[in-house]
Amino acid sequence: MPEPNIVIAGYAETPIAFKSGRSAYDFGGEAFASLLAATGVEKGRVDGLSVTAPLSECANPFFAVYVVEALGLSPTWLNYGAIGGCSATGGVARAAAAIRDGQCSVAVVLSADAPSTYWGPRYGGFRFEFQDPVGLMSPPAAFGLLMSRYEYQFGLSFEALGKIAVTQRAGALLNENALERFKKPLTMEKYLESRMIADPLRLLDCVMFCDGGNAFLVTSEKTAKELGIEKTVRPTAYAEVTNFNGNQACPDITETGFSEVAPKVWGQSGLSPGDIGCFQPYDDFTIAVMMQLEDFGFCPRGQGSDYVLDTDLSYQGEVPTNTGGGQLSAGQPGLASGGLNLAEAVRQMFGEAGERQVAKTGSALVTGIGVIPYGRNWGTSTAMVLEA
Amino acid sequence: MTESKDQRMLPKTGLFVDTEPFWKGTERGELMLQYCADTQQFQMFPRPVSMYTGRRELEWRAVSGRGTIYACTIVRVPAPNLDASRLPLSLVTVELEEGVRILGNILERDPESVAIGQRVELAWDPISDEVRYPAFKVVED
Repeated sequence: MPEPNIVIAGYAETPIAFKSGRSAYDFGGEAFASLLAATGVEKGRVDGLSVTAPLSECANPFFAVYVVEALGLSPTWLNYGAIGGCSATGGVARAAAAIRDGQCSVAVVLSADAPSTYWGPRYGGFRFEFQDPVGLMSPPAAFGLLMSRYEYQFGLSFEALGKIAVTQRAGALLNENALERFKKPLTMEKYLESRMIADPLRLLDCVMFCDGGNAFLVTSEKTAKELGIEKTVRPTAYAEVTNFNGNQACPDITETGFSEVAPKVWGQSGLSPGDIGCFQPYDDFTIAVMMQLEDFGFCPRGQGSDYVLDTDLSYQGEVPTNTGGGQLSAGQPGLASGGLNLAEAVRQMFGEAGERQVAKTGSALVTGIGVIPYGRNWGTSTAMVLEA
Repeated sequence: MTESKDQRMLPKTGLFVDTEPFWKGTERGELMLQYCADTQQFQMFPRPVSMYTGRRELEWRAVSGRGTIYACTIVRVPAPNLDASRLPLSLVTVELEEGVRILGNILERDPESVAIGQRVELAWDPISDEVRYPAFKVVED
């Protein structure tokens, strides 16, 4: 059996909303219907589905099956992605493998969440005894710890983090799907004045939980042609690791899973940082963007501050980064978060980014980050290279 | 239970794995952590298997409680089940002399003056009249 070339043959994204009063099902349905409309694919052709586990509905272990029923599908392949912000890129990679294995031929990777409307998680586990009592209740505290260690080992310019926030905000102003309340220019002064949440982490270093959804059509190049779809991008490299350094009691927490993932995706694609048309790194916090610029070799490890200060990260710049505002400035649609970065990459490569369109549409690098572990950096790291 | 402690949430214990040795240790004033005898390494948090071998041959041993601050932050924002009177709260990762890290709070010190590299020793944070939780104090040089 010849190996089919896999493509992402369409994307859809809902506007981001805060306390929308709507459910993950409803946002998922909106993204799904938009995807069908954008691609012209009949619902009956969809025989594979990857669903992201959302914060708002995670109490239901059968959420993915409920989504199938809500959408009126009968898939022969169903995946429930529970690697947090890595579930979208991870879902595309898993769908590609399923298509190559013949388990389905036209898959939708669907992520939708509404945590600002309804909060569902009960993390349980060790957290009751060993994390909650010390006041580590939320990702910002974990990233405050991580930032403190990064600052101690390498030095950290808050103007550099501020530049990431300010530049991404400028992108959000040109993004029709960005949260309305974020559609105001951000200045460095305003960033530096924003209150400390978990020192040295400021409010404007953080994402805000919102509601929203996104969807991607994954199929083979051949099937896409049969379906009459002209715009496609190829995922030419993917790598993932969960619980990096997980068998070490005292790892260097400034060393992330991307240090393992990055060489793999560069090796698989044969590309290097200078080739990339746009970089869409998972951005739950500004420091994560900086650390990924280092891990993917845009600059040496520990030199992220100087690099960011010296580099134009805007859509017109040398390394267009999170060109639609990212999650930081478009709003984080719960655990549909990773799909926001992926949608922007595909949109840019399709040449559909309007006023914020980048010049180089031949490739993009998209990443995911998932889950906050005990005393480390983050749980899952994923990266995907897309090529035209 | 005193009124000032009413808002501190008592940890639900033993739901993840059996942690009775840890809690008995708090009564005696000892910090008890899980220990993998095969590899002679501690692990924190307690797990159903050794994170080093995947085997269940685990025991509990007391650690010194002495170590160095590896990472530090100040929690400034309230959360459900986090008593606002604890804020600003000094939250640190301590690397213990035994080669294992533990999350904890620094007591009796201005959180602004807590820093990476400071040496710490075990202290006890009363959650209620009956329950105390391991915490740390900076050792003054």
